[in-house]
Amino acid sequence: MIVDVLGVTCGYGSSTVLSDATLQVSKGEFLGIVGPNGSGKSTLLKAMSRVLPPLHGRILLQEEDIYKMRPARAARHLAVVPQEAGLDFPFTVEAVVMMGRIPHLKRFQREGPQDREIVCEALRRTNTLDLAQRLVTELSGGEKQRVLIARALAQEPQVLFLDEPTSFLDLNYQIEIMELLNKLRFEEGLTAVMVVHDLNLASQYCDNLLVLKEGKIFTAGRPAQVLTEELIKEVYGCEVKVEQRHPGGRPMLFIQPLIHRPNTTHYRVHVVGGGGSCGLLFHYLQEQGWEVSAGVINIGDSDWQEAKRQGFSVVEAAPFSEIGLEEDRLNRQAMLKADYTILPPIPFGSGNLPNLKAVLEMAERGAPVIVIDEGSIAERDYTGGEASQIYKKLLQSQVHLVESAEQAMAVMEREADGVEQ
Amino acid sequence: MQHKKPISIIIGLLALSLIILMLIGIGIGAVWIPPAEVLSLINGHLNGSSSSYSGQMQSHDIIIWSIRFPRVLLGAMVGVCLSVAGAIFQGLFRNPMADPYVIGVSSGAALGAVAAILLLGSLGLKYSYSIPAFAFVCAVLTILLVYSLARTGGKVPVMTLLLAGIAVNSFLSALQSLAMFYSGDQMHQVVFWLLGGFSSRGWEYIWMFMPYAVIGTAIAFLYTRELNGMLIGEEQAQHLGIDVERVKVMLLIAAALLIGASVSVSGLIGFVGLIIPHVVRLIIGPDHRVLLPMVALTGAVFMVGADIIARTVIAPEELPVGVVTALIGGPFFIYLLRGQKSSLYK
Repeated sequence: MIVDVLGVTCGYGSSTVLSDATLQVSKGEFLGIVGPNGSGKSTLLKAMSRVLPPLHGRILLQEEDIYKMRPARAARHLAVVPQEAGLDFPFTVEAVVMMGRIPHLKRFQREGPQDREIVCEALRRTNTLDLAQRLVTELSGGEKQRVLIARALAQEPQVLFLDEPTSFLDLNYQIEIMELLNKLRFEEGLTAVMVVHDLNLASQYCDNLLVLKEGKIFTAGRPAQVLTEELIKEVYGCEVKVEQRHPGGRPMLFIQPLIHRPNTTHYRVHVVGGGGSCGLLFHYLQEQGWEVSAGVINIGDSDWQEAKRQGFSVVEAAPFSEIGLEEDRLNRQAMLKADYTILPPIPFGSGNLPNLKAVLEMAERGAPVIVIDEGSIAERDYTGGEASQIYKKLLQSQVHLVESAEQAMAVMEREADGVEQ
Repeated sequence: MQHKKPISIIIGLLALSLIILMLIGIGIGAVWIPPAEVLSLINGHLNGSSSSYSGQMQSHDIIIWSIRFPRVLLGAMVGVCLSVAGAIFQGLFRNPMADPYVIGVSSGAALGAVAAILLLGSLGLKYSYSIPAFAFVCAVLTILLVYSLARTGGKVPVMTLLLAGIAVNSFLSALQSLAMFYSGDQMHQVVFWLLGGFSSRGWEYIWMFMPYAVIGTAIAFLYTRELNGMLIGEEQAQHLGIDVERVKVMLLIAAALLIGASVSVSGLIGFVGLIIPHVVRLIIGPDHRVLLPMVALTGAVFMVGADIIARTVIAPEELPVGVVTALIGGPFFIYLLRGQKSSLYK
């Protein structure tokens, strides 16, 4: 074992943040420490990195108590990539990375060519060679993080501790850093212990995960053993879906947002579609689980495609042709069966005028009709005024007039919930 | 590393201007002695030929050697000490607004001086040579007090150090005001001393001052790498294998020696320790390996210049140097503050 944590209890003042933690890290291992906020992850890492002496217990680095080692000697074996950059003073990147050589230099010794070579190599590996003469105060969060990793590498450690090294980084740099750690591990046997928030990242890259909960080690093991839906629920108190690409593979977590679902299962909605104006409405209806029919829509219309994709029942007419008697009858039937008929702001031509007439008839019979009106009817009237006249009549009857798909949903939810109560 | 050339040029220029300013500073006064003569007189004194001087040469030799030279030299050295101490605190506290007096050393020293003037004065004793001793002892005692107040669980967090310093500072200032309130006739003496200056400081002050100045500066120069580490943050310095508690103790000792010695020989000269490290950092960056030598030289140049101004503007009277540094330093600092608003707090 390269690192042994033996019964370590840590705290600040009188409060204990971490109690009785015991773990081993073997050479070349990549260990991820996970757990919710306040579970003691960072405290454990602080204790392991010689910054926070434990109240009880010992931490051994190659069988030697790290708190009894001389600071410079410890820093030659153990490097830390801190969470906060703290690079507030305008040092050059090269100067900051050169600080990684401090533990290797004697008091009166100056940096030699060998040190410069090591620094150069660390910069190259972390893809920061181009930044060498830039000031650290001018760097982005991701660049700073890579500079800190370069500095840690310049220490030439056997063990690297990282406190959420990817939390400021874009996805590409997250992957780059993880790949770099992987490479160092395989090529040079570097041991890495990383506190990490992103469970998917931890799952994909770490050999083992240590799960902390409320200051105690909850469990530890391979990602596939540890990251289960039950564990996430118990430790983090939330529901996620865990899947594996192949059996026994590294698990992946999926978040499932909870959305407000009114009791809509036995409610039917009929949408009078056409002209590609219903996409968002269809999406909402599907998401909330309404039973949806649509019509009359010409085959090939984008609303038709979307309705089909969502699995709605569609009263359809042949492409680019007028609505026939049979289609009109089926359409009215669907409207009668539905609890709501919705008329989105579709354009009207002579071909689909029967749709508008059918909606008017429903409204006049007192069936619930929701009209979504985003603006002037004249702009979407291609019948020479006939549609506008019918539309005007429609608005004078008992309809819910709304301005958007969201408002239409709200009207239906309100009424559906009202009926429930 | 890429700075190497321009920096050696800047250092050369600074050294040159220091020498020129010192020659002017020595030459200037009731009797003007040109720099060439100053040089030859100093040279003569050093190789022992001065005993053969007579007439004007002899009197010039005396003016230069026993009055003006020690005074100018002391000015330069105090400039070095205050600036280096300022740089130490700014680095240690990671705060460009820290100055040598930030943790109460000044008020400790001042209280010591005031005590010397009042106590010994009231006993009818001659106190002028006791002031430095009193001031120095009190300055060092104040740092010890602040350090032990700030110490918790074997560590001295810099924030606590700063807070303890501020608290001790105001307490000691209050004591000092109280003492002055009861000082009566000696008030003028006290105020004059507090304003700071180098008038009639002879060689005995140099010898008194030198050991502390040398030791303090040497410690600071030994810990430049560690100061860089501390600037990045205490915890990160620890990660880099720096024994931060030890570094803090060593640097506090250095600062106590530098400030205690400076205050004891020249009173409270403000703004030098704040401005010099700050300005130099703005120009050449925060790397203490380059910063500290530059700060030392610039501090000396500034102080010798300020002393020249103090002696000339209302000649034959003399202004306290502390007034001059504050009068130049204050507006200059505000100018920097306006211009560098964004980077100042970084």
